[in-house]
Amino acid sequence: MSHTTVTYKDTADSKLSKRLDMRWLSKAIFDAKSEEQAKSLPLNIGNETFTVGELFNIEGNFSNHVIKIENSNSKMDYIGYALPENFQLIVEGDVGHYAGSGLKGGKLNIQGNVKDYAGCEMSSGMIEVSKNAGDYLGGAKAGNKKGMSGGTILVHGNSNNFTGDLLRRGIIMVVGNIGDYCASRMIAGTIANLGTIGKQVGVGMRRGTILLPHKPKDVISGFRDCGRHNLGYLTLLLHELRSFESTFQSLHPMRRRVQRYLGDTAVGGQGEMLIWIG
Amino acid sequence: MIINGVEIEDTFAEAFSMRATRVIITAINYKWARHAAETMTGFATSVIGCGVEAGIEKVIGNHETPDGRPGVSVLLFSTDKKTLEKQLQTRIGQCVLTCPTTAVFSGMEGDDQIALGANIRYFGDGFQTSKKIGDKRFWRIPVMDGEFLCAESTGYQKAIGGGNILVFARGISHALLACEAAIDAISMLPNIIMPFPGGGVRSGSKVGSKYKFLNASTNHPYCPTLKGRPDNVLGKNIEAAMEIVIDGLTKEDVTLAMYRGIEAICDLGKSQGIEKITGGNYGGKLGPHHFHLREIMNESYNRYI
Repeated sequence: MSHTTVTYKDTADSKLSKRLDMRWLSKAIFDAKSEEQAKSLPLNIGNETFTVGELFNIEGNFSNHVIKIENSNSKMDYIGYALPENFQLIVEGDVGHYAGSGLKGGKLNIQGNVKDYAGCEMSSGMIEVSKNAGDYLGGAKAGNKKGMSGGTILVHGNSNNFTGDLLRRGIIMVVGNIGDYCASRMIAGTIANLGTIGKQVGVGMRRGTILLPHKPKDVISGFRDCGRHNLGYLTLLLHELRSFESTFQSLHPMRRRVQRYLGDTAVGGQGEMLIWIG
Repeated sequence: MIINGVEIEDTFAEAFSMRATRVIITAINYKWARHAAETMTGFATSVIGCGVEAGIEKVIGNHETPDGRPGVSVLLFSTDKKTLEKQLQTRIGQCVLTCPTTAVFSGMEGDDQIALGANIRYFGDGFQTSKKIGDKRFWRIPVMDGEFLCAESTGYQKAIGGGNILVFARGISHALLACEAAIDAISMLPNIIMPFPGGGVRSGSKVGSKYKFLNASTNHPYCPTLKGRPDNVLGKNIEAAMEIVIDGLTKEDVTLAMYRGIEAICDLGKSQGIEKITGGNYGGKLGPHHFHLREIMNESYNRYI
């Protein structure tokens, strides 16, 4: 399949002392720009204006549905912003904040680390991160009331604090460890993890599921122990989790016995924290 | 046309358009899945009096069901979407939700959907939770053995009801033997149910009645005790007639089922007391789908073998 390659010109006098807004890429994709049209798009860095062509080499036009970004770095924000269905963005390197925010069905594959707010307010599609994610993974932009509302985020490394804050729908899968305040104010959806998890899990959680391999060190007082159960829907959920190539495939497909905690009752929540048993 | 001594009458079996849906019921083992399915498909022989025609389509291995447990596939047929949806929900609510360890899933894909768990969820009294997995939504309703898991909706499609075979035999035992052979052969097929008890019908009906309040009544020309009447069609050697009613998802499904049924009966032959095979022909008053027996037996030999 033909694809478009976008390569950042990493010169010695790198202009990226400031953050770089990559939403020009989404605009190029939406408007199916040609190579030349894309290169002439304006690009603001701080109070200076450049063109895309000054900072990036582009090979191919944006009617291709696979776009590869080479030589990216953690100053590049909004990579994959609102990426529509049938488009795939492959990023070789780290990326900055808001990667895949507002994603609308596209597939974002990041072969590196992402900073904060990755996948925030995305509605569908898939984000895969080969290394670690920062804060507010799948969350909401500051001041907004709903986070991710659909799709899947798969992080092969760790994620930091406030993972799934205000999560509305969709699945966040973290193979490694999760920081503090995971699933805070969660509205619904699913967060699954195979590593450890920090403190204050599920604080302010309304509905949804947190699926953990071990009981957190401190289960907040708003969570009530509901005992051990075989939950049938876990077979379906596991089928979904195992459909992605990741360590989650090591989970037995028929595993369904869990310790169930209900909360956060402090806010009248009926979310669940499930801890695998056996 | 005569096959193995059995006459195939030059007529057609008349069938009508329906709407059909399929659900998959799973449970901790086949025993409980079957209990739920049999209860749900009970009193579902004819749309005339039951609102819906339903039956067990097949048993499904645990590797084929959505939740990896033993399951049973159930088909339901009704005259319109609204009735189908209402009957489905009533039967799921009363017969499957109540049955220990069961869960129910959609058995039909497509854009045309009817509610399944979308209304049953209210039984959860606010403690129900939904879970969207992939592009499908499921409802988890707390019940006394844990949770009742139910798909939010299931697909439905146009279908055909009332495909049939009528067997004339020298006695009741011969007619039963023929019906059982046909039912065994047809029950191996997918997309088909035979909604009447055991798959056979002894009270075949005609359209209308001398009583104004009845829209169907006994098919008196086929009743052996009325053989002396001028409109009776049974010959002097025939002491019993029986019918197999077939509902199928497509015309091809019903055609194949009728073919397999007739074939199984003819394999027994005249030596087993079977005289004739005919079809329920109501002169076009019942429905637009006409299955010509002789055409089926001719074409089907070419098409399916």
